[in-house]
Amino acid sequence: MPSQEEIFEKVREALVDALGVDDDEVLSEATLQGDLDAESIDFLDIVFRLEKSFDIKIERGELFPEDILTDAEYVQEGKVNEAGIAKLKERMPFADLSKFEADPVVQNLGQQLTVQDMCRFVEHKLSTT
Amino acid sequence: MRWFWIDRFTQFVSSQRATAVKCVSLGEDHLHDHMPGFPIMPSSLVTEGLAQAGGLLVSEHYGFQELVVLGKISRTRFYGHVRPGQILTYRIETDTLRDDGAAVTATAHVEDKLHAEAQLFFARIGEANQVSNDRQLFHKRDLLHWLSLVGVFEVGVHPDGSRLRLADYPLVDCSRADSSREGPSNDKEIPCAGAS
Amino acid sequence: MRFWLLDRICSYEPNTELTATKNVSLTEEYLADHFPAFPVLPGVFMLEAATQAGAWLVRLSEDFAHSVIVLQEAKGVKFADFVTPGNTLRMCMKQTKREGNLVHMRFRGEVDGRSCVNGKLVLECSNLVEDETVADRSAENALIDQLMVDAFRTQAGILTRGIQTRDIETIEAGQVNVTK
Repeated sequence: MPSQEEIFEKVREALVDALGVDDDEVLSEATLQGDLDAESIDFLDIVFRLEKSFDIKIERGELFPEDILTDAEYVQEGKVNEAGIAKLKERMPFADLSKFEADPVVQNLGQQLTVQDMCRFVEHKLSTT
Repeated sequence: MRWFWIDRFTQFVSSQRATAVKCVSLGEDHLHDHMPGFPIMPSSLVTEGLAQAGGLLVSEHYGFQELVVLGKISRTRFYGHVRPGQILTYRIETDTLRDDGAAVTATAHVEDKLHAEAQLFFARIGEANQVSNDRQLFHKRDLLHWLSLVGVFEVGVHPDGSRLRLADYPLVDCSRADSSREGPSNDKEIPCAGAS
Repeated sequence: MRFWLLDRICSYEPNTELTATKNVSLTEEYLADHFPAFPVLPGVFMLEAATQAGAWLVRLSEDFAHSVIVLQEAKGVKFADFVTPGNTLRMCMKQTKREGNLVHMRFRGEVDGRSCVNGKLVLECSNLVEDETVADRSAENALIDQLMVDAFRTQAGILTRGIQTRDIETIEAGQVNVTK
């Protein structure tokens, strides 16, 4: 199991290559969509790079559960309901969703995802495989 | 200007790699504007050549059921100028091939000199936002025409070395039994003889 | 076809930004091949439009000091939506950095406010006469440089012809330097 620093370095490399940003822009608190301008096609690119770099398999929707966010069962009037939050927590044990819970507007989830969340995601993947 | 930015495949190994060539000629109109008095191959069109070679390699992986579109240029870098009379060799290696998209790494050389590097990302058209599954980019016979122009079935092989066979793809309807996949064009005009 | 991927330069501010438009028409031959059943502006032509717009920003900013301005690098070029015949692609360039002969820019292409492409690029500016590997041909190369610059000055006049009154005021105020 690589150290947290090693994970961060590899995540940084993946983000630099996928998003065309500079090394020093990838801070652990930087948000992917807000600070680093990541768009939906970038997430797939990032996933491909993480898979290679860490030799892991990341299924569709695992890093970013788009399926929940587009499911009428979990989303009402643009906000994720309680059942949806529970589902997100189950699917994203690596992410800190406390901020999102306060204002669970669908778009906020992507906006709030940080580099740190990404590192935790990888840690979580490595520890469960 | 037509939109054929590789002249011919010289190697095509299913799902793995491909090599294609592009001859640069003063007969191409655009070189007279790029640049006026100093004709050089535009970097954007080198990128397109890499994307066409890579896109066909990826599309073959998906069984030529559909074409992929260039969704993202992760990075591309150029070195020096390519002049008329020179031949570009494009080399493509697949990095990741998945149901929802594919990534390839590509290079362009003139003889043994590196001219370009690229990382390209392809989206499957069924996944793209504006085009629905029933709206095709190509009719089957147009795709078949392109594949034969660039020699996919002349050099194409599976990783085990066996030849790619046209009959294994839904490009021709030899039996005429399957009409469910046919687009609006009249695919029955495609001759089957000698095609594989 | 001619290799003009822009129809008009709408506005610009030296060393800072430039906006230009490209009208897409079914009369353009390559649309018959890209794609036969679904004509759309090829993604790399959006990149070429950005490259040309960026090159004009450099040329207009430095009064055609370099003859050859080419794409050296592109990063994170994302194609978000299709540009179809009848559309006007509006390409907005923002210069972020200049280091010697390398100019860094961000670009965004839109159709009626709908984002179709965005990315970053680096342009490399040079003159043939500066190439020391062919110093023995420097006199000839200086002539070719001049030929190119003359052609680009003429093209710039055509592309900036429709520039708006507001911009002409800023030109007169010395902020914008149109071809001399």
